[in-house]
Amino acid sequence: MKSRIDGLLYVGPATVFLFFVLFVPLAYVVYTSFWIGSGPSLSAYQRLLGSDLFLRTLWSTFQISITASVASLLLGYPIAMHLAKQTPRKRAIYMVLVLVPFWTSILVKSYAFTILLGRNGLVNQLLSAAFHTRVQLPLLFNRFGVMVGMTNYLIPFIVFPVLASLLSIDQSLYRASEIMGAKPPRIFFRITLPLSLPGVAAATLSTTVMSMGFFVIPALLGGRKDAMMSNLVDFYTRETMDWNMASAIGVILLGVVTLAAMGADQFQRREAKKGVMA
Amino acid sequence: MTTSIDVAMPAAATPGVVIDKQERRYVRLRNFIAFAVYAFILVPTLIVIPISFGGNGELTFPPRVWSLELYEQLFSSSSWVGPILQSIKVAGCTMVVSILIGVPASYGLVRFDFPGKRLVMLLLMSPILVPVIVISLGLYLYLSRLHLVGTTAGLVASHVAYVTPFMMMTVMAGVKKLDPALEFATTIMGANRRTVFFKVILPQLRPSIFAGALFAFLVSFDEVVIAWFLTSPTTTTLPVKMYSSIQWDISPVIAAVSALLTVLSLVFCCISVFLQPAAAESSN
Repeated sequence: MKSRIDGLLYVGPATVFLFFVLFVPLAYVVYTSFWIGSGPSLSAYQRLLGSDLFLRTLWSTFQISITASVASLLLGYPIAMHLAKQTPRKRAIYMVLVLVPFWTSILVKSYAFTILLGRNGLVNQLLSAAFHTRVQLPLLFNRFGVMVGMTNYLIPFIVFPVLASLLSIDQSLYRASEIMGAKPPRIFFRITLPLSLPGVAAATLSTTVMSMGFFVIPALLGGRKDAMMSNLVDFYTRETMDWNMASAIGVILLGVVTLAAMGADQFQRREAKKGVMA
Repeated sequence: MTTSIDVAMPAAATPGVVIDKQERRYVRLRNFIAFAVYAFILVPTLIVIPISFGGNGELTFPPRVWSLELYEQLFSSSSWVGPILQSIKVAGCTMVVSILIGVPASYGLVRFDFPGKRLVMLLLMSPILVPVIVISLGLYLYLSRLHLVGTTAGLVASHVAYVTPFMMMTVMAGVKKLDPALEFATTIMGANRRTVFFKVILPQLRPSIFAGALFAFLVSFDEVVIAWFLTSPTTTTLPVKMYSSIQWDISPVIAAVSALLTVLSLVFCCISVFLQPAAAESSN
């Protein structure tokens, strides 16, 4: 009984603070999306479903999030494998190479990409020098720019969970398969990959959910057609001052993200149960 | 005996050599891909440093002339120094408040059971899951009702709510490693709960609190979206200034700011790497 009160005492200040500074504002978004003038109404949602701009943005949000997550999985997995093969000491050193970009501000990276990928940027300069012609590939302010920026940002978020699941694989499995004469590709496809799948799935789902709310990268590296849901919320809030619409988009985004997270949670629980039974 | 070994040796060695060659090729390919990806994630972070030492108006790599011109411009322009100071102020206040509420909450959540614990946990951890744009919109609508949009206090309160779960994850990991027997023993010896918390828990948690505080500071210092919604021209933070500058005029001064931020994250990274062994040791 005493410990119950104790718990509330310790948790109390933070709970009250976040209730007023987080829960109430979120509830206010839901309220604003349903309440117009004097009464409840679904008109914002009806307008959204009839809006080409919204449907296009919703579609490209899904497209960008999923593609960027898969791309960062393909690029992040080799890093995780490389880290997993190192001795703990060396791993700590290589880990810094992942941690530095992880800690770096997203604005620094976006700025660097505007320099690297611009029409006269470093990548085009390098290509021009290599082919002895003037190369001016459009790498920025389009889907490509957004994908490069997002993949670059997401890779560390793939590496950490995948590395954790690679490290939890029993090392004697590798030794056993090597003694039995299995070649590296076979070891990879029969042992490494299947046993790391839970980590892979968790990582990819979480990066997908994360990228659905991206704001800075599509705004700075994308063109008009690459706006994502967040940018649309910003547009309706600041440009057209239509708070009702902005809130409705916010509620839909929140709903999509919550569903995805619940799916991921369910999946992980099932995996955990499988692990317990095996 | 000796002859039989001599005969067996080459026969056993040959397949080994074949596998070795293939294995080596495989390892080389794997390392090549890994290093290419390391380069891909590091280049944008590191390239701003050499660029920042190039002259004004010319963003080339490597710079033709090395100079400190951009840094002079940065520190002599009040439109950049102001946001830098504002960001330090906001991140500092955010860090202090989030420690004050986050450390006890981390301890309470790990050690005690109480009614509604799952709900409290969900509330405290929700800023990690809820898209930051939705949080920003909510805070913008809510704080404009309270006439707090554009104030430093409003921004600090918002950042505290946003940053606290990130800090709590670090501290909760620290609390999980503590030995409950110590708290139990002190309680039996007659210490009240305040003594237990301040004399037994806090000293043991010092490394994780320090790491969590750094985390809180950096997350707040780098936060763009909430600040983009909540600041006015007089309370602009550095990330907001950078965001609008990249969007509108791409001033070369951004290179100098970016280089400073990269150095800052390098320092943070080194400290956090150093702290981890310390946190692990203190638990033993």
